[in-house]
Amino acid sequence: MPPAPVSPLITVVFRGTVLFVVWWALTLGESSGLAFGAVVSALVAVVSLRLFPASGFSVRPAGLMLFLGYFLSRSVVAGVDVARRLLSPALPVQPGEITLTLNLPEGSPRWLLANTLSLMPGTLSILLEGNRLTLHCLDTRDPVERDVRETERQVGRVFGLAVDDSAEAAR
Amino acid sequence: MTDSLMFVMQAVLLVLGCLFFAVGTLGLFRFSDTLTRIHALTKVDNLGLGFIVLALLPLAPSLAGGLKTLLIWAAALAASATSAHLIARAVHVRPEPPETGEADHD
Repeated sequence: MPPAPVSPLITVVFRGTVLFVVWWALTLGESSGLAFGAVVSALVAVVSLRLFPASGFSVRPAGLMLFLGYFLSRSVVAGVDVARRLLSPALPVQPGEITLTLNLPEGSPRWLLANTLSLMPGTLSILLEGNRLTLHCLDTRDPVERDVRETERQVGRVFGLAVDDSAEAAR
Repeated sequence: MTDSLMFVMQAVLLVLGCLFFAVGTLGLFRFSDTLTRIHALTKVDNLGLGFIVLALLPLAPSLAGGLKTLLIWAAALAASATSAHLIARAVHVRPEPPETGEADHD
């Protein structure tokens, strides 16, 4: 399903605004640098359009907020999970690899999923080839696939995509 | 009263963050292969840095300062996820040789 194209102007304005906010934060709101920052942000936004053309996926603010909440809570689970295993004398891990077929479309959604999974409990992205993602699991006894599918749904929501669970249903 | 409560909260968060960093480093020693070690570093350090950032946020001199602190966390997360993936892919493509007994004598 090819996403609807986004106008380049909207992309430039969006990227320029984000860059300017970052500039504003990095300079701690120093007023003497704001004009220079605005010019640089605008130029970088225009150049970025050539280097990284608009993907066509638009970020939904509501989906992004839900994703951030999910990400933060799972980050805590992930950190505590590894810490618990490390501090346990028996060192309960059973590392292994699994390869999954992703339901998310090519581009930003898959990229965001692979990077997010590296920070989620028990998973580490190794290889992303086409729609096949190879993960290293800290413990293969955990319901890794279920967690990955949930993360996939959350990432899909950021881009307003309804993730088709056909791969899971086929199992 | 609220000031001292805030101070205690910040102190607890800072100590918690440092403890998580320490545990993540412990992972380098306790886990035996590269991929498992990366699990320890990425996840635990993400949480450790998160707690430290949370503790420092109330001290931010301005809104921009607070945002800058959050940006540091976001940048560290992006760098940690990307480098973890790159190392994992490198190990996958060219598996590491099994550890020799000599390593134990270091």
